[in-house]
Amino acid sequence: MNHRAAGSIDRIATLTGDTFNTNVIKGVGPIAVEFMSYGCGYCRAVEPFLQQVAETLEGKEQLFRVNIDADPELSAGFEVQGTPTFIMFSGGREVGRVEGIQPTLAGVMAVVTQPFNIQY
Amino acid sequence: MTDPTQPMLLFDGACSVCDRIGHWVQKAAHRRAGTPRLEARAIGNDPAELRTLNAKLDIWDAYATIHLLMPDGSMKTGGEAVAEVLRRLPATRWFAWCFAISLFGFKPFQQLLNLGYTILDDVRPIFGCSSCGVERAWVKPITRFITWIKSRSSKSAPRASTPHFSQVAAPALKLAAAGASNTKGG
Repeated sequence: MNHRAAGSIDRIATLTGDTFNTNVIKGVGPIAVEFMSYGCGYCRAVEPFLQQVAETLEGKEQLFRVNIDADPELSAGFEVQGTPTFIMFSGGREVGRVEGIQPTLAGVMAVVTQPFNIQY
Repeated sequence: MTDPTQPMLLFDGACSVCDRIGHWVQKAAHRRAGTPRLEARAIGNDPAELRTLNAKLDIWDAYATIHLLMPDGSMKTGGEAVAEVLRRLPATRWFAWCFAISLFGFKPFQQLLNLGYTILDDVRPIFGCSSCGVERAWVKPITRFITWIKSRSSKSAPRASTPHFSQVAAPALKLAAAGASNTKGG
């Protein structure tokens, strides 16, 4: 399965411990963060749908990812028990959390928009 | 230290089956004196670092299918990569020539190898691989049966790393209610 067409843009920025506060805790508007691992098969299944959702929600909601293998402290700080875990933020506060998402377009869209009532 | 003039096999270090095969290849390639004709390494978790090996290489694709990076910048994947690896290992090259046999444009042994690779790829979750993706429908009953057997034999095996939800439980949508009690790390 192709996760992204060759040469296409990755619409989801990867956050690190250094950039998380600026983009999420001090971020403006609805934000969804996927805590993931590149070695996680389920994250791989979700990825193409997540890219589509990021494109659809451009300007309405920001989507980020955190690689838990690269930033274990960050995932431990948010008590992430497994991957993929989606945590939604608004005004720097967690407003929703979903673990073990369904790898479908509708499933991903529902998860990242539900706490914010976003129309798309 | 890797040799850029030799092909590099990338294997999924998070998958126990792939990890064992990858390390076997690494050992087999270095077994005889002289320059090894192949290098092998785990994919890792840094997409940018992986792109330094080949600009077209996507880390998601690398985890989805076995990749062999050739020194000329091309990439072989799946059964084609396996055939090339077998051609280069001293222990296996004696029979690996058969994968090049072509009958009217059809490569029977290569096709068999491709099928074998696809089956191995599908059944990896049976061996407890948490990085192998969503199981195929035909593999699910076997995995469930093995999980059931394991749960009966050992109730409390400690978990070494963060689990992937595909392997821990059926995916469940549990949207947390908004509220101050839910705020973490802020």
